[in-house]
Amino acid sequence: MKDTGCLDYHLTRRRMLQATGATILGMPVARLLAAHSKATAKAGHVILFWNSGGMSHIDTWDPKPGRAVQGEFSAINTSADGIQISSIFPNLARQMHHCALVRSVAGTNGAHGRATYELQTSYNMNPSLIHPGLGSIVVHEKDRLGDLPSFISINGQAPKSGYLGQRCAAYYVGEPGEKDPYLAFPAGINQLRGNKRLDLLARMNARATRRTGEVDFKATETAIKEAVALMKSPTLKVFDLDKENPDTLARYGDTDFGRGALLARKLVETGVRFVQVNRGGFDTHSNNFPAMENHGLEMDPALAALIEDLAASGKLDSTLVLVLSEFGRTPRINNNAGRDHHASCFSCLIAGGGVRGGQVIGASDKDAMEPAERPVKPSDLHATVCHALGIDHEKEVYTPQDRPMVLVREGAEPVKELFA
Amino acid sequence: MSLSRTIRLLPCAAMLFGAVCAVSAAAPRIDVLLSTDNQAARNEGVVYGQALDDLAFLRKATVDMVGRIPTYSDIQQFQQWPPAKRRSMLVDRLLNDKGYADRWTVFFADLLRIRSRAEGGNRLLAHVHKSIATGKPWDIMARELIAASGSASKTPSVGFLLADDSEPMTMAGATAQIFMGVRLACAQCHNHPFDKWRQKQFYELAGFFGKTKQVENRLSKKTYVTEGHDMKVLWPPERRKPKARFAVEPKFPIPLEEYAVKPDYIKRLEALRVGEIIELKKHKESEALDDLIDSVGGQDALGASVEPANLDVTREAKDDIRKLDVQGDLYRRSALRKELGDLITSPKNRYFVRNIINRVWAEMVGRGFYMPIDDYQGEVTHPKTVKYLCDEFIANGYDLRSLFRTIMESEAYARAALGAEIEPEAREGSQAAFASGITRRMVSEVLYDSIVIAGHLQDYKWPKGANVRQFERRVRVPLEIDPEEEAEIKTETTAPLNEMKMPAMPKPSPYNLEQVISLDFEELVKSNLKKDLGRMKAMSDQEIEAKRMAETAKKKKSLRRRYSYKSVTEKIDDNPRFSSSMRMSTPATPSHFLRVFGQPSRDGLGEFREHAPSMRQALMMLNGKATHEASRVGPFEPIHSLLTGNRKNLAKAVELAYLEILTRSPSAGEQSEALAVLGQAPIQGMADLRWALLNSHEFRYLP
Repeated sequence: MKDTGCLDYHLTRRRMLQATGATILGMPVARLLAAHSKATAKAGHVILFWNSGGMSHIDTWDPKPGRAVQGEFSAINTSADGIQISSIFPNLARQMHHCALVRSVAGTNGAHGRATYELQTSYNMNPSLIHPGLGSIVVHEKDRLGDLPSFISINGQAPKSGYLGQRCAAYYVGEPGEKDPYLAFPAGINQLRGNKRLDLLARMNARATRRTGEVDFKATETAIKEAVALMKSPTLKVFDLDKENPDTLARYGDTDFGRGALLARKLVETGVRFVQVNRGGFDTHSNNFPAMENHGLEMDPALAALIEDLAASGKLDSTLVLVLSEFGRTPRINNNAGRDHHASCFSCLIAGGGVRGGQVIGASDKDAMEPAERPVKPSDLHATVCHALGIDHEKEVYTPQDRPMVLVREGAEPVKELFA
Repeated sequence: MSLSRTIRLLPCAAMLFGAVCAVSAAAPRIDVLLSTDNQAARNEGVVYGQALDDLAFLRKATVDMVGRIPTYSDIQQFQQWPPAKRRSMLVDRLLNDKGYADRWTVFFADLLRIRSRAEGGNRLLAHVHKSIATGKPWDIMARELIAASGSASKTPSVGFLLADDSEPMTMAGATAQIFMGVRLACAQCHNHPFDKWRQKQFYELAGFFGKTKQVENRLSKKTYVTEGHDMKVLWPPERRKPKARFAVEPKFPIPLEEYAVKPDYIKRLEALRVGEIIELKKHKESEALDDLIDSVGGQDALGASVEPANLDVTREAKDDIRKLDVQGDLYRRSALRKELGDLITSPKNRYFVRNIINRVWAEMVGRGFYMPIDDYQGEVTHPKTVKYLCDEFIANGYDLRSLFRTIMESEAYARAALGAEIEPEAREGSQAAFASGITRRMVSEVLYDSIVIAGHLQDYKWPKGANVRQFERRVRVPLEIDPEEEAEIKTETTAPLNEMKMPAMPKPSPYNLEQVISLDFEELVKSNLKKDLGRMKAMSDQEIEAKRMAETAKKKKSLRRRYSYKSVTEKIDDNPRFSSSMRMSTPATPSHFLRVFGQPSRDGLGEFREHAPSMRQALMMLNGKATHEASRVGPFEPIHSLLTGNRKNLAKAVELAYLEILTRSPSAGEQSEALAVLGQAPIQGMADLRWALLNSHEFRYLP
């Protein structure tokens, strides 16, 4: 679908019903529809594993054993009947009965920047505005629980919050498990003195804002208020992984990714709505197989432990886990033993949040080149996440320039089969 | 109607708001043209901002030219100059300051997407720094980057190609956007939806890079750029699944200006360039393989004489030499890219000059003549002004210093932003007309360096031993020792077996997100060929494979190991001293201060500095080490003697603090507030006051 940059406003049945105030038995249809979504919504939290660079789909979720495109890895059986995944995920294979795979994600962008933008915001890049990322959409629609920021991004920059505003921007955590010195006054400044300084600063800044009327000044002051609130929160100790059981750390793997996954779980347990764990290094134009093997070594224990723990604690139903990349990689192996960009057909893993595990949605053709069945657009994935959380993905919001925008790009439909 | 009469007739409704009216009779040409353009666009009714006072101008100009706020001695020097001449004297001084090249390297590093971690990245950075310092014209800089070949050790400008693997499609998109301000990259996959660019044109542009190849020499492990024989860019594109694909014929898609009579600005350019040799200086670069062989007739290279009459033998010998290529340093020049470089930088290519003018204007004034600054859509907001700036830039030989000077001497540059009493819509209108200043924040490197300068942290301000602190360091202790590992540790270190040391850090500090480790630009610019050759290590394919497998196996083991953490404390004299952030590896890591405050990752095209405030920024400034140490008053600082002892004068101390941090004197209200903060413990109180000033809006947003 071409994003022409102007709003392709088509009236959906639902919106017409809402707009005309139609009722059924006295209840406004709009409210009924909304109530229906909320009632079926099981999830309240999302953990998104964002793998940047274009993760090879054949070497992870969509192996093609026996074909020339398969490459060096083999396909292994999993705890889900009839589903095989790549041999780089031996531990995760035992958790696949909790997970679903979508093997027919049909992207349209093969360039990193544009594809990342589309997979993270559902829209195509547009010079006139910045669309919010999935995390920002979720925290815009769901109330904040607890003290911590609703949207936390670990080990990488999350997409911007765009027209949803600074309130929906991600809070960035650099090194999971390390004590963050920026969350406390520096050594030598006690609480009393620290608070007096903050008061002085607030007075100075208020004067400057009154005088200039600058929007950015106000936004800076909001950021400072939120920072101070975070500093004073007792929930901060969740970031400290030092006290964690060494066995747990070993199960997730004592790597940045492993600790990131563990921290994501703990954050969700305190009420954080959306945690994005970032990982790079997937742009394997050369030496694809050693690189993917390495990715497997780090990702496998972490993802397996996460799913296992969430299931064991009964939190899997309320937590949606999504493993996503901006595109896949060519089935054909190039001259440098690598795979190049391949956007027309790739895969993602989705678990929890009401998703029925042990199933595959869609299929790719025999060489994983094109979707053979049930193609899924990137925006459909966003609609799916919204559906799981009871968010109306067609809801309209207004940009600061008063332009109406729908949360997820028009034409998106949630993949309902996942929840059957 | 004559121009002067027009000016006098301009409505002075702005007088009602107490703002300066329009353009004075003695205004620089650029302001006259802005005014003319505004009239044509019916913008003449906008409200004008006040002219900045001298100290505000000093602050803005110093930040813009040398990347830091002015020091107290800068202020004193400035104020001692005669009032009528002091601003132009300041501009002279700043353009020749050693900080000038540092600051503008940041700008060009953003533009050229220089990445230290890419092959040849640091050398390219040092090369750009030197080019700026020595005033190399922009067209020559651009030509060097587009047409370079060889290895980064001898030809640092080749880093521009290396960073993107010399890939033709990427380079075509990058070159168009970076040097000409057009977003052609979309045309790679389809005909541009709203612009006039066709996909074939993109491929034809990519064709100029189509014979360039990047080769990694297995022996020296160096990557170098050379020119092959085969055109790699084929048309039609693969995804159309055509029956046959043919080599593309490189063609320049940008229309060049034609003129019947040579314009004056080109005549001036040619007069300037008479006698100069514009070509790349041969002796500074490694020999092109063909040049080497051709010049000596194959004799010296082989160590034996060759009969010139026997052409077959000569050709065979040359082929042998090409195959050998042991040093990995002999390369072929690219005729195609030289042609492209000439076309792009030709004075007839308006896109090239308009691009740099727009980017520099946007950087210094806060907004371009077309936005986004890398996406020219056929229109500029102030056509006459842009034409003037472009023509003058060419006439001055693409000299950047002249451009900066012209902008800084304009009235538009030296105007303040409008205040809250003006409605936001009117404020926006004034900004669009360049009738008022545009409030913008310092870029992250400038912010960091300004904190360092304001807090006298560039040198030690404490005596030895005054900052001894206990530092806790976490060490990982494995719960089981692997016997193989044990043997390895025994041979590698003499440390006790039950402690695995973390890699050595310069200082044990949790604040490493504000740390700066400086690059040595002078070293990087020198040719390092001998050093690289010395590290030659030949490895066969099997050896490489075996090494990789061993590393993977080791990693597998280490991931399964269980650790607990132990704290080790040690006493260190943490005497603070900070280097400039403009000479460090760039871009910084994602969580570093510089990135948090907006330095781009430079991975993609069209990525700009992000200045939206965030909670992370707030935390780093409120609780960061730089701000903390800058606010603490060290005994070696001049302000110290005003806070204690027999020269104690608290009012003067407050005044000095304001001057050093905000480049202005405090108001009466601010003085009494400050004195209340100093209270009975002035040294501590001054730290509190300075901390607040450093964190204030006024510090990081320019006047």
